[in-house]
Amino acid sequence: VRLATLFLIATLCAAQDAAESGRLTFRILCAPCHGIHANGGRGPDLTLGTYSAGDQDADLFRVISRGVPGTEMAAYAGRVSDDEIRQLVAYIRSVGHAQTAIKGNVATGEQIFWNKGGCGQCHRVGTKGSSLGPDLTRVGRQRSIAYLTASLLKPDADVTPGYATITVVTRDGKKIVGVERNFDDFSAQFVDLSGKYYSFLREDVTSMTREPRSLMPSTYGKMLSESEVNDLVAYLNSLRGAR
Amino acid sequence: MLGTLALAQDWTSYGKNDLGWRYSELDQINTNTVSRLTPQWMYQTNTPGKNETTPLVFDGMMYVTGPSNNAWALDAVTGRPIWSYKKALPANVNLCCGQVNRGFARRASTLYKVNLEGTLVALDAKSGTQLWESTLEDYKKGYSATSAPLVVKNLVVTGMAGAEYGTRGFIDAYDADTGKRAWRVYTVAEGGPSWSADSWKRGGGSTWITGTYDPALNLIYWGTGNPGPDMDGDVRRGDNLYTCSLIAIDADTGKIKWHFQFTPHDVHDWDAVGDPVLTDLTIEGRPVKAVIQANRNGFFYALDRTNGKVLLTKAYTRVTWADGVGPDGRPVPIAGQDPTEEGNRTCPGMGGGHNWQATAYSPQTGLFYFTSTERCMLFYKTKQEFKEGQWYQASTIGRDEPGNGRVDAIDPKTGKLAWFFETVTSPTGGVLATAGGLVFVGDAEGYLIALDAKTGKPVWRFQTGGTIIAPPISYALNGRQYIAVAAGQTMITFGLPKL
Repeated sequence: VRLATLFLIATLCAAQDAAESGRLTFRILCAPCHGIHANGGRGPDLTLGTYSAGDQDADLFRVISRGVPGTEMAAYAGRVSDDEIRQLVAYIRSVGHAQTAIKGNVATGEQIFWNKGGCGQCHRVGTKGSSLGPDLTRVGRQRSIAYLTASLLKPDADVTPGYATITVVTRDGKKIVGVERNFDDFSAQFVDLSGKYYSFLREDVTSMTREPRSLMPSTYGKMLSESEVNDLVAYLNSLRGAR
Repeated sequence: MLGTLALAQDWTSYGKNDLGWRYSELDQINTNTVSRLTPQWMYQTNTPGKNETTPLVFDGMMYVTGPSNNAWALDAVTGRPIWSYKKALPANVNLCCGQVNRGFARRASTLYKVNLEGTLVALDAKSGTQLWESTLEDYKKGYSATSAPLVVKNLVVTGMAGAEYGTRGFIDAYDADTGKRAWRVYTVAEGGPSWSADSWKRGGGSTWITGTYDPALNLIYWGTGNPGPDMDGDVRRGDNLYTCSLIAIDADTGKIKWHFQFTPHDVHDWDAVGDPVLTDLTIEGRPVKAVIQANRNGFFYALDRTNGKVLLTKAYTRVTWADGVGPDGRPVPIAGQDPTEEGNRTCPGMGGGHNWQATAYSPQTGLFYFTSTERCMLFYKTKQEFKEGQWYQASTIGRDEPGNGRVDAIDPKTGKLAWFFETVTSPTGGVLATAGGLVFVGDAEGYLIALDAKTGKPVWRFQTGGTIIAPPISYALNGRQYIAVAAGQTMITFGLPKL
């Protein structure tokens, strides 16, 4: 019994060591997207204890090693050793805690998305909706619950690169505002809320600016009840793209 | 005139002349004619990766180095390839920032370049045949090489890269004919009070941008990189000499004549590798032999290049870590700016106010031109165990905040901004100044831009279709002036229409 206890303690200590080593590697390689405490950011929240690519250690190992095609998750095989990947898995396991993060109802959220919320007027899911704002077909794989909630309530908090707000004032004083398609030192291309495409040369207009804010309404916190926000987030979280 | 100016029509070294001016005396393309500038030829290298090269042009040929140990000799009038060079890269060469190379050096009819695995090769310019190869240091220990060498008399002087891998920086000089090493200067002082314990052994201080040379003083000037590990200064207490410094080296003996440390005990990765440009100035009525640099730490510096004493400093971007620079050249630190476990926001960001991109000095306008960024960043400190040959940064940074950029023109006599040209993203390319009263620069979105050197007004542009990281150059052949730049994977040359 004593030996077995010692063995158990030794095993637990080794797991703690591995998790600590993994934490240090995580801070260096993973934190820029997944957050310094692994609770998500532009990359998914890894503290939820459940992962889009599978919940086994082998699934996490595979994702870190090979990356996730079609997402911003890069392949780390070659950059770090297999042992270090195992340590990363140990760390992710150590911060993962089961929680009922999804409070809302997916089906209700889907109704809100396409009806009351009017989200489809700017966003696409699969072949449905509009392409003015970011495509949300796979957004449940790409963003954490916290990030999705924050994006819904405060759209300006972190604007997806390439979707900034462009404002052009023409020579005759007309102000045109839209979502960025390209912006460079000499020109701007953008789409206004009606879907109309514009292209201007800087030298032909009075002013041309790009702001890191979103044209998405910041009123969803007022327009929707708390439970409706939860439903909508549940729906967004369920969007995993084509399998 | 100061130093030896290369023949006006050629471009034969990284900085155009020994002094690092990147100033072309050619003026056929000028403020009046530049509107008619059009592409003359393009050469598609079909080689992926970042192209940071400064091409050399002489004897009717253009010599271009590219990513992944590639190089090409192109006919300078037509762009047609004459020979090419490729060296297979060993597996597992550790590189912080891509398989890049910044150009050849030239002596008579021999070309010199480094390869990524930390070697220096000599090639016959006529055929591309390799004449010799020397190894700087073992790539398995994290050493690599990316910069253009500098030819000084019969020596080929080269830096190395790898400060993010626990290496110990140096500058080497090799006999140009045989490849035998003549001297080595370590940029990390062995032991002493500026390094706690044995931290100097992996102290970084890499030398990844080409230096300059003053023939009259027989001194080589070379900037040094960050100390290692980058953001955990606790394991390397002290000033960490000679990292983040400019060092002046006797060309014959390889001894350090003087050093000037811009950022003592750096914890923000602010390499001091901006071009050390040599120019004679009159500062407050006194003529001085100066070396000027836009340092990554956010300050512009003019130093006396005979002794390393500071003449002038001025912040050219937003700086939150220091309240200016003292009369002794030491920054006056502001407390609480170091990276922490939970992250600490400091300006400038990791890429600094100005990083490595080539700078230019025009004797015509007396102005110093460089690209700059106004940006802050979250810096994190992380404990990290050192393992030979492995990434050793002990840190991370927050996701990049969007940063606007500028091309700055500074009067080096006063440090005052004469003009700036704003760019919508952080600048990627280097600059070229010409006697045509123009400054050329490439941007992240692929534009090659000509600015009026006196006012900064854009007077011409061309969309190349590829991000421009390399600096433009200028040369002349058969009575026609050309501007050339690597954009994306393509080498493009511009000229005025034939009369």
